[in-house]
Amino acid sequence: MFILLAVQSPDFFEPQNIANVTSQVAALLIVALGQLLVALIGGIDISVGSVLSLTSALIVSIANPWLAIGSALAASLLVGAANGVGVTIFGVHPLIMTLASMTFVQGFTLLVLPAAGGNVPDPLIMLAKASVGGFPAAFFWCVAVSLIASVLLYKSRFGLRVFAIGASSENAALNGVDVITPRVVCYVLCSVSSAVAGIYLTGRISTGDPTMGQPFSLDSVTAIALGGVQLAGGVGSVIGAVLGTVTLGLIANGMNLLGVSPFLRAALTGVLLLGAISLQRRRTIGV
Amino acid sequence: MRSPSIGEGASSDARAPLIEFRNVTKRFGSTEALGSVSFSSRAGSVHAITGENGAGKSTLMKLLAGVHRADAGEIHLAGRVLDFDGPRDAVSAGIATIFQELTLVPNLTIAENLFLGREPVRGGFLHRRGMREAARKVLESVEVDLDSDLFCGDLTIAEQHLIEIAKALTINARVVIYDEPTAALDAPGVQKLERLIHRQKQAGALIFYISHRLHEIFRLCDTTTVLKDGRHVATQPTAALSHDGLVTLMVGRELGSLFPARAVAPREIRPALDVADFTPAAGQPAVSFQLRRGEIVGLAGLEGQGQRDIVRALVGLQTPSGGRVQKHDGEATPRTVGASIVASTLAGLGFIPEDRKTEGLYPSLSIEQNIGLGILRGASMFSLAQVDRRRIVSLMRSMSMRARDEHQTVSSLSGGNQQKVMIGRWLASNVDTLVIEEPTRGVDVGAKAEIYALLRDFANKGGAVLITSSELTEHLGLCDRILVVREGHIVSELTAADASEELIMTHALAAAAPLGEGAPA
Repeated sequence: MFILLAVQSPDFFEPQNIANVTSQVAALLIVALGQLLVALIGGIDISVGSVLSLTSALIVSIANPWLAIGSALAASLLVGAANGVGVTIFGVHPLIMTLASMTFVQGFTLLVLPAAGGNVPDPLIMLAKASVGGFPAAFFWCVAVSLIASVLLYKSRFGLRVFAIGASSENAALNGVDVITPRVVCYVLCSVSSAVAGIYLTGRISTGDPTMGQPFSLDSVTAIALGGVQLAGGVGSVIGAVLGTVTLGLIANGMNLLGVSPFLRAALTGVLLLGAISLQRRRTIGV
Repeated sequence: MRSPSIGEGASSDARAPLIEFRNVTKRFGSTEALGSVSFSSRAGSVHAITGENGAGKSTLMKLLAGVHRADAGEIHLAGRVLDFDGPRDAVSAGIATIFQELTLVPNLTIAENLFLGREPVRGGFLHRRGMREAARKVLESVEVDLDSDLFCGDLTIAEQHLIEIAKALTINARVVIYDEPTAALDAPGVQKLERLIHRQKQAGALIFYISHRLHEIFRLCDTTTVLKDGRHVATQPTAALSHDGLVTLMVGRELGSLFPARAVAPREIRPALDVADFTPAAGQPAVSFQLRRGEIVGLAGLEGQGQRDIVRALVGLQTPSGGRVQKHDGEATPRTVGASIVASTLAGLGFIPEDRKTEGLYPSLSIEQNIGLGILRGASMFSLAQVDRRRIVSLMRSMSMRARDEHQTVSSLSGGNQQKVMIGRWLASNVDTLVIEEPTRGVDVGAKAEIYALLRDFANKGGAVLITSSELTEHLGLCDRILVVREGHIVSELTAADASEELIMTHALAAAAPLGEGAPA
């Protein structure tokens, strides 16, 4: 894919373009890893985009940078908890629950920041844009979040139980596993990761944007589906999420460079998502 | 309760019972699954729990496993009364259970499955090396030579059951409950299990062994407890029992006047269904039998011996893999059925599934709508639905259905009335052949009698009925002929009038181990 793009467009290797790709991919990767957690327990979270937007709005609207980041994280915690409790304890379908929170959060975001603009505190900009030894900051953000996700999923009791609950919550319960708390925690972590992505992206583009997160909801689901995560739960990996995100990011970037209309780009993403899902279903039913 | 090591039992008074059931009673709704059951068991022994289907064996053991709580009575473990809030408490008390259904998670490895819920940690992180080591040791004791990093979803069913058994070993239990453990094991697996049980017994554990397989009970178990209809019948040393004596303890009760008079043998035999060399699924044996007009035939035998597959493939719900089913309508040439359930229905064959609530009824719809569907059998999808309400009401009256009116939602009806709705649907549709799974499951005695009368009436008018049932008295009272099924074969055909529960059970149980080792004594 990389090679294909490199050959097709002479602009691909322009440093500005590489920087663009990595920053887009970084934000999407952080959200996708959160979405991975929710997908592993068989759910979905389409409110991630609006949480990201809310974070951006809060950062430029609150003077004290620490307070801004703190309130963004706290808000995401609340949204995640609401999603988790709604789905797990009240039995609301995850799509409906997160659709409701998405609408609410987006509305609230536009109240906080009706239009793009505002000042982003300098330390944050530096954190998002700096370069260490030739590697862009985006790279370090990606590595850090991927490492945290890997440790959580593969080295902790929580991670093991998430996989078990995703595959069969009845059998997990029969083995004495609490099936409520881990599921709520997954939704909380997903929202928090969207907030982290929002913090990064706001620093990157140095301005607040209340609709910044809009494409991320669908794109994060597409990214993990491309990466082999089964949306029914129980199957998926951090590597898969990373690969899916990079692939999606490269395709998007490639289409931009080749001058493909943005409408066509959205259509193509939809087709990709459908393709990835139908491949999954075939594997599940053994065809 | 802390988890004691197995050796502790041996040092205490070996003659005192380890587990004691005192007047244990358990109800599910209005059904009494266990009534005042009392007996005791000692450490270092293998204790069989046996009885017919529905005797209460699994329920009793689930009380011990912490899955259910008793409504009355007490269970004592080493002198202390048990008070479990769930399966985890039972595990902490040193009681390990191996259920018939697997509780493994397919996308986790063997090691991960063995310790799910009790994962060893070191410094907050999963101690995978420790898990693998412990897994290796436990797999050795079950004589399973599998890498503990294999995913459980990739194992064979027999291997999965061995892992399920291994899981219980990680608990260091002093009471081990096996629920029909050999049902899913292959021959080498059965031998491994027997060696394991022997070792556990030597180490001082108390093993409860739920099984129908009498030859296993006689070979492995020191003591045998027989349950019948939720009541305790007898607890005796196995050596004091004979095969026939055990069967007699398991069955034998009053028939009562629950059943209408059987049909008088008709002068001419008019066939309704001809089943020839019929294999319900790949790998199943072929069966052949005939269902005749005016008779009720029952497929008897222990649960899960293939009756359900035969019946469901016959009506077209499952795709059979061979053979032929022909239906005689009274016309010259019989029709081949079994292609699909829709075709069977159109051909005049009505099927009532076992699970009314999820497979047969439309719970949120009214009686009128549920029965009315039957009247519309065969009507084109675009035709106007003409459902004669008066006909439905008079049908309800003739069935003695207890409901407010025809508009009542069926989900609010009692089990007996729900079953009548199912039968009513087919009576209204004018089919001439009925195939029914468990005709009176979950139905109270009064409604049972009424349903039996309905079915006999249907047969007397020229219909034919095929039932499957796990209640022997039902076969003896309702049916004209009984076909006993064992491991997919029809092993005998009995005339109900001349049969008895002991006779059916004898044919249903395998006295010798697998089929083909000779007829039961």
